[in-house]
Amino acid sequence: MNIASRVRSWWRANLWRSRVENEMDSELRFHLEARAADLERGGVPRQEALRRARLEFGGVDKTKEECREARGASFVETLSQDVRFATRLLRKNPGFTALAVLTLSVGIGASTAVFSLVDNILLKPLPYPDSTKIVLPELVSPPGVNLGSEYFPWSQTQFRMLTREAHPFEAVGAFQNDSFNLTGSGEPLFLDGFRASQEFLPALGISPALGRNFTAAEDQPGHEYEVILSDRLWRERFGADRSIVGRAIELNGYAYTVVGVMPAGFAFPRAEEMPSSFNFPQEPELWVPLAVAAEPKPGPSELAVIGRLKPGITIGQAQAAMDLFTKHAEAQDSRWKGWFNTRVVPLDRQVVGDTQRPLQLMLGAVGIVLLIACSNVANLLLTRSLARRREFTLRAALGAGRGRLIRQLLTESLLIAVAAGGVGIAIAKAGIYFVKTLGPSNLPRLREVTLNVPVFAFALGISLITGILFGLAPAIGATRENLVASLKDGGQRSGGNRTSPRLRNALLVAQVALAMVLVISAGLLTRTFFQVLGANGGFNAERTLTLQLPLPPLKYAEQGHIVTLFQNVLERLRAIPGVQSAGIGETVPMGGEGESTVIRFTDHLPTNPKEVPFANFTIITPGYFSAIGTPLLRGRDFVDTDTAQSMPVAIVNAAMEKRYWPVDGAIGKLVGPGSTRYPLLTVVGVVADVKHISLREDVAPEMFVLYDQNPWPSMLNMRVALRTKGDPAAMTESVREAIQGIDPDLPLAKVSTLTTLVDDSMSQPRFSVFLLGSFGVLALLLASIGMYGVISCSVLQRTQEIGIRMALGAQRGNVFGMVLRQGARLAGLGIGIGFVTALGVTRLLASFLYGVRPTDPLTFAAVSLLLLGIALLACYLPARRAMRVDPMVALKYE
Amino acid sequence: MAKPIDLLQGTLDMLILKAISLGPLHGYGILLRIQQISKDRLEIQQGSLYPALYRLEHQGWIASEWGESENKRKAKYYRLTAAGKRRFQEEAEKWNRMTDVIAGILGTRPEEV
Repeated sequence: MNIASRVRSWWRANLWRSRVENEMDSELRFHLEARAADLERGGVPRQEALRRARLEFGGVDKTKEECREARGASFVETLSQDVRFATRLLRKNPGFTALAVLTLSVGIGASTAVFSLVDNILLKPLPYPDSTKIVLPELVSPPGVNLGSEYFPWSQTQFRMLTREAHPFEAVGAFQNDSFNLTGSGEPLFLDGFRASQEFLPALGISPALGRNFTAAEDQPGHEYEVILSDRLWRERFGADRSIVGRAIELNGYAYTVVGVMPAGFAFPRAEEMPSSFNFPQEPELWVPLAVAAEPKPGPSELAVIGRLKPGITIGQAQAAMDLFTKHAEAQDSRWKGWFNTRVVPLDRQVVGDTQRPLQLMLGAVGIVLLIACSNVANLLLTRSLARRREFTLRAALGAGRGRLIRQLLTESLLIAVAAGGVGIAIAKAGIYFVKTLGPSNLPRLREVTLNVPVFAFALGISLITGILFGLAPAIGATRENLVASLKDGGQRSGGNRTSPRLRNALLVAQVALAMVLVISAGLLTRTFFQVLGANGGFNAERTLTLQLPLPPLKYAEQGHIVTLFQNVLERLRAIPGVQSAGIGETVPMGGEGESTVIRFTDHLPTNPKEVPFANFTIITPGYFSAIGTPLLRGRDFVDTDTAQSMPVAIVNAAMEKRYWPVDGAIGKLVGPGSTRYPLLTVVGVVADVKHISLREDVAPEMFVLYDQNPWPSMLNMRVALRTKGDPAAMTESVREAIQGIDPDLPLAKVSTLTTLVDDSMSQPRFSVFLLGSFGVLALLLASIGMYGVISCSVLQRTQEIGIRMALGAQRGNVFGMVLRQGARLAGLGIGIGFVTALGVTRLLASFLYGVRPTDPLTFAAVSLLLLGIALLACYLPARRAMRVDPMVALKYE
Repeated sequence: MAKPIDLLQGTLDMLILKAISLGPLHGYGILLRIQQISKDRLEIQQGSLYPALYRLEHQGWIASEWGESENKRKAKYYRLTAAGKRRFQEEAEKWNRMTDVIAGILGTRPEEV
């Protein structure tokens, strides 16, 4: 066959469509006229001749359609024909079109916005080269050993041992957070930063944008006075001065040479990307060498480790290598036996962390909204296709095949879907903006979220899928018509086809059921939120100001010096008018996790790690409990007469008493840090459990130790708490004056009221509740629109029946009740199905809930009633309309 | 006049090719030519003629151009292409072979089996 002629014919058919159509018209017209002329010559009058010619010819339009098909090029042509026809139809019904597009765009917009979160947070690779090769080798508790925390920091000795072993990493670096006091130019600035070993940046695969990384020689004790700045610090503090590289800045009283500036946006590790027990700062501003000695002295374990896998090494192989490392470490030092395991966690999994499940929840919720929107639009189309039955019949009679009709209807629904997709993208854009400005700051990678190509593809994809989804059922339903019956019917309203109300009712029931599931889930989360908000955190957040007091280590190297400083600070603070009480402690409620440590009750230590007791070990000053409002349950608080010279004392929380002295209480018992180097302390008091990270956490055992009896020199980063008579935030300036009156080099960091800290701890749950609640409201709105549409349509179709009923004596009230009953029956069915489904679905929510059971009867009952109420409200208007039917008018309709 | 017989499935294309192999014709002319050659013994559904023409043109066996009819009207004339000529010969041969075979079968007497 001749390809060229095919192409030519196709070309002509599509690009010269109107010319081809005109030619076809004139060709057929010529035929008819020539035939009529022949007939005229045989003596037939002109009019009759023309009529007979047409009769002999048969259906002209049918022939044209067959000709178009014969030309074999009809796809694009009929498509454009369909599109133009559909556009015309949709424009003719602006109300219907607007409703359908709006309904659907809400569904598409919401799903696109949620998908963009999922895509950017869960699916997109991390912004490091070859990021799947980056892993965190973590030290974790072996099964059965509970030391209060799942993760341990690495010790310098362990890290050195790892770097000496044949390890699976191309580069492996250690890092630990530290705070730095930038002085020398203007106001002292408190900065969060990291001490990182030389291979830290190579493990991430990132180099400084300006300057260079530390050299191995600089990463040595005594040579570690170099610093790499973050882009932000460089811009804000140093005015983006490129000549800063090579110059010295003063940190904690030492001169550090700036060797590099990181690229914009680099801030690894951010707090939300790492396990919360690491207590890392929100966003680091600088990095200095870690400088681990070749043979480190024993010291506290404070390191996190990051590695880049060698080419071709899988996570599994890396895990096996690290298991081997654990064995070697145990062989080398038997004290480590049974204390830790290693676990190799891909960095992307760690960064995503706990956000995966809430995001999946959102995706599920928004999927339900989309389904409801789809079925709503399907119902709208079905309703409208009823009114168009005559049109379909006519077109079928004129030679349109069923496939052609279905295609036409699908074109219409796809057109609606594409329009809705466009509006939906705008909605998604607004949604993303909203989430980025108001969303919780601890959502990882939130700042990276944008509308990008995959998100656009997703929006387009779901538009097309939904278009087919909601378009296909009505299209098939509407074209499954008996031609003859329909023609006989004359397209009257009363002869509604039996299948479509059933389909519409089913769709409506499904909508109500879906809305029920979603609203119950939202209800449970809302109840959880308020339960958490009302939960007892063991403190009183009102009128309390907290701040961090990082001490320059050089100046405050001595324990006694720090104790004197704290005594002075407390004295000055308590002297400020309006301050009720003041205290200093290692943590404040909702201010971060405490430090867990091994403890002992006698000098006889257990040898089995599984039996080792542990507790959070928190250093405080007298006045701390009254400042944060923690009630003393038994015994006494620390007083000023407890000093370094008096008997060493401790206060424990209720959880610790319950765990270790459940029978005869904690008062008078001895307890101390795990090492016999430190003295045992006598418990003098029991306080309520104070929560550290979230109001819904289970409180771990915690012991409080007095600052001047503290054996560990770890008081460089304490938090101050002040209970005030008036507005705590208004005290900030007088507090700053008081503290800097003692030492002008002391920076105040993280100044915040306790109420704000509580608020911040609730930001993610609040956000989840808000999102899910909005989706619930949307679902209710869509379902009630759907209910209204179906009941109105059914009233319209039953006008004649209602007229007959009224003519036969039915009261208006009966008619009103009948319509309401119909709505209530459908809603009831939907609510019932939704109820049962929700019983199953909410079980998946169990881990999100707090203080509420997944089958909370109150929520289930309230939501059922709410939905029923809304359904009846949606039926009210159509029912009123039914009641006002005039029997005479209704019967004349026939 | 004998009652005209309906066209056998698939033969319309061949008849059209034959009709215009004798000279370019417009659609109506093709109809008349076939009726004339068949001495009105074949009934062609007028409406079915045009889809067949469009199909043949699409397949490249015939080509069309606008010309002037006998009574000075614009009409679309179809002519055979080279490919169409070959195609017609093949079709005609095939047809002849088939009619021979079928006539042979139908003409078979019992004793010849």
